[in-house]
Amino acid sequence: MNVLLFGMIAEKAGADLLSVEASSTGELRRSLAARISGLDQLSYAIAVDRRIVHQDVPLTGSEEIAVLPPFAGG
Amino acid sequence: MSEPRTHSVKDIFVDGPIDPAFVGTSIAKHATRMDIGAHEIFLGQVRADVTPGLTRSREIASVGGGDPASIGATPGQARSDGGNVIAIDYTAYREMALERMTVIREEAFAHWPSMTCLHVHHSLGTIPAGQLCFMVFASAPHRIAAREAVAWVVDRIKAELPIFGREILSDNTHLWKQNM
Repeated sequence: MNVLLFGMIAEKAGADLLSVEASSTGELRRSLAARISGLDQLSYAIAVDRRIVHQDVPLTGSEEIAVLPPFAGG
Repeated sequence: MSEPRTHSVKDIFVDGPIDPAFVGTSIAKHATRMDIGAHEIFLGQVRADVTPGLTRSREIASVGGGDPASIGATPGQARSDGGNVIAIDYTAYREMALERMTVIREEAFAHWPSMTCLHVHHSLGTIPAGQLCFMVFASAPHRIAAREAVAWVVDRIKAELPIFGREILSDNTHLWKQNM
């Protein structure tokens, strides 16, 4: 699945889109940590279909997934 | 200007700074609305913060519960010898931001049903220090509703909209802004 990256996480990854295989958000976090150096030291949220999920939820691969660093609007 | 109460998804984002003249024009557009007795406007301006130098480290909190704005912070990203913030480069996850904004707008009208209209604009791209980057403008028959709604909407936007800010420093380094 394609994962959208933003802000400092996109900067760290050197990309704003990553292709990652994961069957849950927990697995996604582990996959991302292996792909993006230093990610495990950052706070970030995962949005599934434009909603932030706090639990480990299953993914089918058809969702819109985004990795969101802390917000800075205003 | 009459604003329909259908609350369709509106694009709040503008490229570049918000022109102060636009604020004036926005006010003038309400002159035909004889039911309005009060306007309340919040304007955000890019501040030339002085950074302390070296790694600006902020307290680390875990993601755990709560939304990203309450995450606290992550360690300072860029090494910097310090300097002033000369601009903020804003980006956003537009689709999610606009969906969240639609919900916030609907909740605002539910909380303050007398509110006549609510206008929100946020900049994207590079906004130099001293320029306007954020505007929340509410109008109502009486001041209390407009005042309360603006304060509430500003806080909700800062906490919930996926907008990201890269603070460009005078020493050519940068830091990532994060709302507390």
